[in-house]
Order: sequence, then C-alpha cells, then structure tokens
Amino acid sequence: MIEQLGNGLLLGIIISVASVALSLLYGVTRIVNFAHGEIIALGAIATLFLSSPVDSRLLFLDRFSPLGNNFYISVIISVIFCGLLGGILEFFLFRPLRKAEVGNIAVLVVTIGLSLFLRHIYMLLNAKPQNFPLELQRRETYLFFDMTPRNFRVLILGIIVMVLIGLFLNYTRIGKAMRAVRDSNDLASVSGINSDNIILFTWISSSMLAGLAGVFQATINDVRYNMGFLILLLIFAGTVLGGIGTSFGAMVGGFIIGIVVNVSVGLPFMEGHTEAKNAVALAIMILILLFRPQGIFGEKERVS
Amino acid sequence: MKFSIKGSLTIFLTIFSIFLVFLLNEDGEIPILFNLLTFAGIYGLAAIGLNVHFGLTGLLNFGHAAFMGFGAYVTVLLIPHAAGREGVVITTGLPFFLALLIGVISAALFGLLLGLPAIRLRGDYLAIVTIAAAEIFRLLVRDLESVTGGVYGIINFSSSLQQYRLGFIDNFASSNDLNPSQVFVAFLSWISIVLVLLLLRRLTNSPWGRALRAVREDEDAVRALGKNAVWLKLQSFMLGAGIAGLSGVLLAFNYGTIQVSTFVPILTFYVWAIMILGGVGSLTGPIFGSIIFWVIIGETNGIAQLIFENANGQQIAGVRFVLVGLLIMILMIFRPSGLMGKKEELLLDVK
Repeated sequence: MIEQLGNGLLLGIIISVASVALSLLYGVTRIVNFAHGEIIALGAIATLFLSSPVDSRLLFLDRFSPLGNNFYISVIISVIFCGLLGGILEFFLFRPLRKAEVGNIAVLVVTIGLSLFLRHIYMLLNAKPQNFPLELQRRETYLFFDMTPRNFRVLILGIIVMVLIGLFLNYTRIGKAMRAVRDSNDLASVSGINSDNIILFTWISSSMLAGLAGVFQATINDVRYNMGFLILLLIFAGTVLGGIGTSFGAMVGGFIIGIVVNVSVGLPFMEGHTEAKNAVALAIMILILLFRPQGIFGEKERVS
Repeated sequence: MKFSIKGSLTIFLTIFSIFLVFLLNEDGEIPILFNLLTFAGIYGLAAIGLNVHFGLTGLLNFGHAAFMGFGAYVTVLLIPHAAGREGVVITTGLPFFLALLIGVISAALFGLLLGLPAIRLRGDYLAIVTIAAAEIFRLLVRDLESVTGGVYGIINFSSSLQQYRLGFIDNFASSNDLNPSQVFVAFLSWISIVLVLLLLRRLTNSPWGRALRAVREDEDAVRALGKNAVWLKLQSFMLGAGIAGLSGVLLAFNYGTIQVSTFVPILTFYVWAIMILGGVGSLTGPIFGSIIFWVIIGETNGIAQLIFENANGQQIAGVRFVLVGLLIMILMIFRPSGLMGKKEELLLDVK
C-alpha cells in the first residue's frame, strides 16, 4: 500500500502539472483543449529525439545528436519547443477562430481533430514505445516511500514547479492579468489589459507546462506516440475534480486522481483487475459531476 | 423532398466519389464498392444517431463507440456464441430479433445512465463525461474476460442472423462473387437507415422535434414555456444511443467477431467526421457524408504508398487517422455545416 502511495504521488504530480496547464488555458480562453495530450507527448518525444539515437520512419535519421546527447539541455529545449507549438497554435489557429467568433463547441471539435492529427503524425514518426537514454537506478527509501533517486527528483521538481506557478499567478503582473482575463475578459480589456497578448502568453505557458509533464511521465514510464491521449482522461478527471478553471483546485484534483489510480489497485474488488485502475478515477469524476459539478474548489456558478 | 442546389451538388459529389472508386481501382471494383457501401451504411447509421445528439439537440457526445459497443455486446451475448480464449460455447440463447431489441433498448438505457449526471451541465462537461464513459466501457469489456471474452473476443454468433438470409441475396452474392453474409448485413443496414430516417422525419416534424430544436437554440425559453428541457435532452440522448446500438450490432455481424478493439475511441471520431462532412442537423446528410468518407478512407492505401515505399498496415492506419483529423479540423473551421447542413440551423455555441 505504501509503495502504491509513492507511485500515486508520482503520477499525482504529473497529472497535477498537466491539469494546472489545462485549467489555466480553460480559465483564460474557455477552450477545453483535447489536444493537450498531444502537447504532453511532444515534450517527451522531442526530448527523446534530442537526447538519444532515434529510429524514425518519416525522417530517416539514424542518429541525431547536435547537443551531444545532454539530457537536461534536451529537456529545456523540448519544453521551449512545446511552448512554441502552443504559441503557433494560438496565433495561426485559435486566434483567427476567436476573431471569427466561432463558438466554443466548434473550437472543442477542432481541438479533437487537432489531437487526432498530431497523435498520428507522432505514430508515423515512430510507433514503438521507447525509453529515455537514462541508466537504471536502484530504489532507495525516502521518508516512507521506495523510489529511484530520479523519480524522487521528478517529485521534488514537480512540487517546485507548482509552487512557482502559484507565486507567479498571485504576485506577478502578468499572472494577475491572466487571472483578470479569466474572471472577466471585458473588464480586463477596460482596465487596459491586452487580452490577446495574455491569451497568447497563456497558450505558451500552458503548453510548456504540458511538455514538462510529458517529460516527467516519460521519465517514469516510457515514450509512446499515444502517451498523452492515455493520460488525458486522467487530467480531465483531475481538473474536473478540483474545479475546472481553478489553478489550486487543479493541483489538488490532479494529486487526488494520481493517488486514487494507484491506491485503487489495492482495493478488494480490484484484485486481479489492475488494468481497470483508470476506470475507478474516471468513475469518481462522473460521480463528482453528479453531486458537485463545480468541483471541490470551483466557485458555484451556473453550469447547466 | 425538394431538390435544392446543395442537395443536387451533394448527390453529384457522392456519385462522383463512387465513380472515383472505379477510376482508381483497376480490378475488383465490385467487391471494393460493396465493402465500401457496407461500411458506409453501418457508419452512416451511427452518424445519424450522433446527429440526433449533436445536430438536433446540441449535445456533445464523444463516447459514441461505447453506445455502439453496448448494443453489440448485449445482443451478441444473448444469442448463441463462443467467447474467450478457450472459446466457451454457449448454445442456448434468445432468437436474434428479440436479442436485437433488448440490445438496442439497453444501449438507450446506457445513454440515460450517462445522461443523468452530465446532461444538466454545460456542453463541454458532457464531452468529457462521454469520452470517459467510453473508456470505462472499454476497460470493463477488456477486464471482464469471463463474460465478454476480453481481448480474445466473441465469435460464432453470425448464424443466428444468417439463418434468416433471403434467397435472392444468395443469388446476388454468388453472381457477383461476394460474401453472402456481408451482403445480407449491408442489405439490413440500408433497410435500417431507411426505417430510422422515416421515424426521425416523423419525429422531427412533430411537436417533440420542434421542442428539441428549441432546446438547442434557447434552453431558457423552453423552460419558460413549461417544458422539461432536461427530460427532452435525455430523450434525445436515449434515441441517438439506441440508433448507435443498432449500428453497433450491424458492425458486429459484419465482422462476424467482436473484440475490445472493435469499439475504440477512433470509431467515435470516424462517426464525427462523417456527421460533420454530411451536415450537422441534416437528416439525410450523414448518408452521403458516409459514402464520400469511405471512398476517401478506401483510397488512403494509395496515399500511404505515395508517402512511404511499401507502406505497412500501421503506416496506412496512421495516414488514415491523420486524414480523419485533418478532415474534422478543416470542415469545422471552413464549413461547419458540412455538405447538407443549414448554417442558420447551426447554433454551435450551445450552452
């Protein structure tokens, strides 16, 4: 059980980071981004691509290592690359849609198409699961949990990232502007905030966080073309649980979902059904929607 | 039915795309065309069901594959079949049409079960709930191997349907070198399309249909007039889910086996692409959308060969899904009403 709790914390931190990103984007733009998972996957795929020899079908590159395979530099470049993709998507796709006053529902369907498109581009690049070029490590004990030093570092780094996001949203000018646009786009515009720039910034930062979550996820498991799609539903569960659009709620919700997924393996009725562990988290999400649709920390608004 | 310019253009495009099949395939056109029409019929029916949700009522359903799967699994489990790794044979069972009826009704009830928590909420929540429910369904089917056969699936259930096969279908199949059981499924799916369309046409022109469209456009107004908007939405959700269940059964009998991999999320996205292509809110649109869609899908093999030398199955599938994603995006951006949809009927900003 304790071991599952450790795994749960790890998954929780990944889902948290990704949920905050999704929730931030939803809060500011009102877009439920189904392509979020593909940005997550891009973070991992780009890191793999930059840091190790890859076998790609589309690019026919046997070895591509301009950075001398330095893992950390690869991670930083990949995260920036994800941010760039987010910016490009906002600038060339979602901003024109917003200017044409296309409804939120239509934009949601566009993100579904985008997700399908990007995911299978990755699949054409390389469909085989691969691992980051990192050496194997032995598990060690930290407080109560057994985990590898690398995974422990992921956990600590994730917590630092969360604290930074919280500080950023509460104490910086641009963070405050983001919250202002989230609360009321019109009022923010009246106060002299350029909401287009804020939305662009939100896309970039949300995508960078997603890319980082992808790197975390791939460090713990492996890199697959559909890794983002597989985790996307858990991210939705975390976001909805905490309250969609809230940042703090998404953090807590993500943590809870990560722990629930792993601890549910130990439940009596789950014996021999470990594959179905995600179903428990998704069922909790549906139940939350039934009884408290605004989530744990969401403000009560009319959601019907 | 009035023939508008849009309608004639759509019919022209459909005929042209069928003509393309003859143009691009040098031999074996008849089996290819027939295969295409079978899938177009089954998926078209599913798209009609989805259109009841999205086009008529404005409900975002991304779990269509689960409704199809639910109908198919219930039906197949009620008739004689063999399931699982060992292929445990179950010889007793209900007659096919009774099982089909129960299957369709259970798919509709599954819709009710899902709709209850989600339908009171804003549209995007329903999208998340339905896609999550489809995943739960998939995980459960995989996990409950003793009943559903899990990844090994269910086989040997076709005969309960094929015993009703009519003589002229055998004749038609043998003279054209086709598989008679597939011909029968195709025949049934097109019959079902006609019946479902007749039913829907009657329903949409009834007070019920008008109330439903009113819900899509202004739910508060409907409430103010004393109609129960939530119950109306639930009814529509059940109706669409039932139609999806029927198409799922047809898909199962077309393959002759079902596994976990038969009803995966990608199936939902296919149906979405077909619906948007055919026209959101148009009753007959999905049929034409479906035919054109399957012509495109049928030719992805050729497109994949252009990109890769000797493309393998996975690459062809990848190219196909990339195309479907692009199709959904481009249509939704540039022509959200599809071929047959009416722009004024399309209020996509449903709250």
